[in-house]
Amino acid sequence: MKPLMLHGHERAITKIKYNREGDLLFSASKDKQPNVWYSLNGERLGTFDGHNGSVWCIDVNWDTTRFLSGSGDNTLRVWDCQTGKEIGQLKTNSSVRTCSFSYSSDLVVYSTDKALGYQCEMFIMDVRDVDAGMSQEDAICRIPITGPRISAILWGALDETIITGHEDGEINIWDARTGKKMNSIKGHKSQINDMQFNKDGTMFVTASKDNTAKLFDSESLMLLKTYKTERPVNSATISPILDHVVLGGGQDAMDVTTTSARQGKFDSRFFHLVFEEEFARLKGHFGPINSLVFHPNGRSYSTGGEDGYIRINTFDQSYFDFHFEY
Amino acid sequence: MPDITHEVKSSWADEVEEEGGALPPPSEVYENGFKILTEYKYNDDNKKVKVVRTYKIERRIVSKTIAARKAWSKFGDSADDRPGPNPATTVGAEDVFMQFISNKEEENKVEDDSLDKLKSMGDKGVVKCRNCNGDHWTSKCPYKDTVLAGGKVPDDKKPLLGPGVPSAITELGKPQGSKYVPPSMRDGGNKRGDSMQMQRRDDTTAIRISNLSESTSDADLEELVKPFGLIQKLYLAKDKQTNLCKGFAYVHFKFRAEAAKAISTLNGYGYDHLILNVDWSKPPAQNN
Repeated sequence: MKPLMLHGHERAITKIKYNREGDLLFSASKDKQPNVWYSLNGERLGTFDGHNGSVWCIDVNWDTTRFLSGSGDNTLRVWDCQTGKEIGQLKTNSSVRTCSFSYSSDLVVYSTDKALGYQCEMFIMDVRDVDAGMSQEDAICRIPITGPRISAILWGALDETIITGHEDGEINIWDARTGKKMNSIKGHKSQINDMQFNKDGTMFVTASKDNTAKLFDSESLMLLKTYKTERPVNSATISPILDHVVLGGGQDAMDVTTTSARQGKFDSRFFHLVFEEEFARLKGHFGPINSLVFHPNGRSYSTGGEDGYIRINTFDQSYFDFHFEY
Repeated sequence: MPDITHEVKSSWADEVEEEGGALPPPSEVYENGFKILTEYKYNDDNKKVKVVRTYKIERRIVSKTIAARKAWSKFGDSADDRPGPNPATTVGAEDVFMQFISNKEEENKVEDDSLDKLKSMGDKGVVKCRNCNGDHWTSKCPYKDTVLAGGKVPDDKKPLLGPGVPSAITELGKPQGSKYVPPSMRDGGNKRGDSMQMQRRDDTTAIRISNLSESTSDADLEELVKPFGLIQKLYLAKDKQTNLCKGFAYVHFKFRAEAAKAISTLNGYGYDHLILNVDWSKPPAQNN
């Protein structure tokens, strides 16, 4: 396959995300501009200008009208997708680490870092009429996190719950209405870097610094499968059409300069969803993969790396011809 | 999206005339399903370069919302981009192929192969006495503790990555000539004694890998040679101060056949931008 390399960022990619139909690919990096691309030909549609710090998290709503980004400049911003204009912003006490639109996209959940003397907090906001005058006092629900900070977030089914992944590997489910903790498990030994649902939202896969990715039931948080590697996993995604899970990661960005860029470390690794066995690898990046997502049609997937590149990999026929033997 | 870059041929006289930067304007031609973009620019050597990019134009039927989004005008830093991908931000990467990892079946096959080889080799060459080069284990050598053994062993002994300091010195590749040799290592020393027998290693299964890159670590080395078979000992020569690899390593396999396989596969193998040199481990004198 001939991947498309998108070079719109000057620094490491932090997060990439497709819209629902998959025709647009949004990307955020440690530079200040989130970008949006046409996923088919890699053409850049535009950049969202305004942030003053690393952008840590992004999301796009169901009908691709609004785009959400949270940054290290202590703001959460809502943008118009078509024009790239800022609709509104929200000042926070510390940097915004995670954010997500609810399915209806009326609500937004975001979490802030434990920094500058503030503790980690999770907010649920109504953003239907967001404007500059909005503050975090308007939050519908404000949940202080006393333990380790949130590092990944998802809306549960019917926008009723919120699933959070924490720095120490804990996974919690919260009631979005009351803000009560409903269930809590110790899913990983180390930080959870990413959580992604399967197509119907019944399961989600977590990627953790403890060198594993795990599959959990979204309702009961039951551990279903474990995918083991030798390096920290930064992101994991489930194929919408096949029983495949793709893991991306590699050594900590911090340690990369002290060791060689040997093959095998920065590959995307394909695991069978059920048998937990690795069956393929794909090379690409010169640094660890920070974010990895499947196209909603399952025929391609994209990776964003510490090297600042985004690669759109469209599968060859050989991928679909491959059958896992069991 | 293949890029074809070649220089425009122009005589030096023309170049002088055109100095001042009169480049032909870029052109865009649509031709039976292809868009051909031609640009002129100066490259790093200040030479005029013509860049031709050919794009295939595809029509797809998509849902209304996607079609509407396709018509959105660009914004932000891309506001001035022309329709179609901007080569500054979108690049067609090199071809990559998915490496399918063979499952258990193939692994077994590999094992069978090496086993067959072993069988076909018979006893010959698999076991080799270090004293008399006979087809028997060194410990069972009939010449053990005789003069013949005494004369031969020291040469063979040197490359052995024996325990402790002496081997380290050998590894460092220092000249061997006037070096201090501890009594236990000297000819006729007690190294053939039973107590030393344990520490002897069968160097017929040892291979030497050289031209390794500086950044190779023990784990990398292990990963590299593990597929070939059981490994008795790994030694990666490292600089004492920087702890960087000095460029070579010794690997002791359990079986000679596996070592042979490793040599045949790894010799000339491109590893980390260097081409490996792999051979049987030889006494340093022969290496030099």
